[in-house]
Amino acid sequence: MDFYFSLAQLIGVHTLLGLSAYIVLLTGQVSLAQAGFFAVGAYTAGMLTVLAGWHLVPALGASALSGAAVACAVGFPALRVKGLMLVIATLAFGEGVRLFFFNFDYQVAVDGIRLGPLGGEGFRQIRFFPENGWGTGEVMLFMWVFVIAAMALLWWFDRSRYGSVLRAVGEDELAAQSVGINLTAVKVSAMTVGGAIAGVGGGLYAHYTTHIEHSSFNILVATFAIAYPILGGLRNVFGTLLAVIFVQGFLVEGLRFMGDWRNLLFGALIVLAMNLRPSGFLGGRRRA
Amino acid sequence: MLADLIQNTLDGLSIGAAYALLALGFTLIFGVLRRANLSYGAAIMFGCYCATWTHLNFGAGLLLLAAITVAGTVLAGAYVERLCFAPHRGGSMIAAMVASFALWMQFEELVTLVMPTHLYAFPALYEGAPLAFGPYTLRVDALVMFGAAIAACALLWGTLYRTRFGLAVRAVTEQPAAASLAGINLPWVYVRVFALASAIGGVAGYLVVASHGQITPMLGMWSTLKGLLAMMLGGLGSLPGAVVGGLALGLLEAHSQWFLGPQLRDLIAYLLLFVLLAARVPWMHTRSAS
Repeated sequence: MDFYFSLAQLIGVHTLLGLSAYIVLLTGQVSLAQAGFFAVGAYTAGMLTVLAGWHLVPALGASALSGAAVACAVGFPALRVKGLMLVIATLAFGEGVRLFFFNFDYQVAVDGIRLGPLGGEGFRQIRFFPENGWGTGEVMLFMWVFVIAAMALLWWFDRSRYGSVLRAVGEDELAAQSVGINLTAVKVSAMTVGGAIAGVGGGLYAHYTTHIEHSSFNILVATFAIAYPILGGLRNVFGTLLAVIFVQGFLVEGLRFMGDWRNLLFGALIVLAMNLRPSGFLGGRRRA
Repeated sequence: MLADLIQNTLDGLSIGAAYALLALGFTLIFGVLRRANLSYGAAIMFGCYCATWTHLNFGAGLLLLAAITVAGTVLAGAYVERLCFAPHRGGSMIAAMVASFALWMQFEELVTLVMPTHLYAFPALYEGAPLAFGPYTLRVDALVMFGAAIAACALLWGTLYRTRFGLAVRAVTEQPAAASLAGINLPWVYVRVFALASAIGGVAGYLVVASHGQITPMLGMWSTLKGLLAMMLGGLGSLPGAVVGGLALGLLEAHSQWFLGPQLRDLIAYLLLFVLLAARVPWMHTRSAS
């Protein structure tokens, strides 16, 4: 049973990562910076629980705030460019964050053991769950509270005026601007919400693996973040969830019996899915 | 101090020549297809591993290895084009990007399955000591890299501006719809451009691997990132820009490594790119870019 709980935890973390890219994609922007916000959230929550002795819940709040703050700060300059330029600008930012953490040392002695991020070796011993005696089932439930909250938030956005504004910008920027929508405000706000969701996801991820390092936040993670909503389609949030279950549940775990050849099929199936349904599993009429 | 600066400049230009070659291939694909090909570096890595495999099993001369690298890269490029770019013509840019990302993982996986050791030796281009000019040294393989970059540029220029195929490529780059109306077979141009870009990537990959004398699966990510950086620094879709961007990236890395240390070297390059992009410096924003 622990295996399934653990798998559900992984799916939860990746769903948050995918959702953070989903809301940015709604405005028609492709961002490879989500792994950077994910990293900021992971290091923030990890340092607060391990070094400052905070409880996980306020630490996750701090993760969300720091992710949102960084996303907002990056969004203003980055979202001035579009299309491939934005992809590269956000990629540069994401790699910059990764390299920052590659060089980031901040160790403090806690109970005689030096803990904290140590450059390339990463940040070990983020042991909030085992220290407080949480079982895998409880951890899974705890994580899914956040996943469901994020999904509900985005679902509500989609139903509200704000969601229509986001999609209007994604559909046709010129038309949206001509009816008085402030493009910068809409895009930066979407990026900020995405940053907050990625921050929470990162905080949960740090405590799920107990060990984070710079390579956990590389361009592969960033591309996975946008691959989920693209595979699932942008019609609603369930597309992203479905895509995460398809990739992490079916392709990674379900095909494990195939051994080493699994990843070759993995790539082929993603390509096949993209070719058969270019606008995603639950894709609507619009294409990103 | 001055001697160090000059030596760093020489080193920067040497590695910059490799970046310039990578960026040329990237620019060609981007300029014509307007698509980001994330598996470009992975295809290059695949080609280099084909050569490594041949070297380990049969032993082969340098020229033959170079030919195998290029052939392997073109083959991998054809696979990428068929699966990721042919189905999405006129469709979404991002579906093609996600698909090319999936193939990147496939190439890495295939390579580690067939050749499981992380690091393989690759026959070096030149074994002897570097050339010395007074206090400065210059590696012979760097000179070869320079020569190859210049030759590739010249060839590419000749192809683009002196042949019918080049005319078709330029027409498609300017106005795909008009080019199609004028009777240019668009898929035909796309496929050949992809092959050409892959061949340039193969040459770049071979030279990089042969001058390092070793190969790891990280080569894929390395060449994608360096090629993208160099292409962007020089301005999207411009061939001279790609060369200048490559050399500039090499110089920037060499000097920032000297002044700030190796850890900050890569960080500086990404920061500069981000700032330049966000500041919308004019040369980066050609019409084809947005």
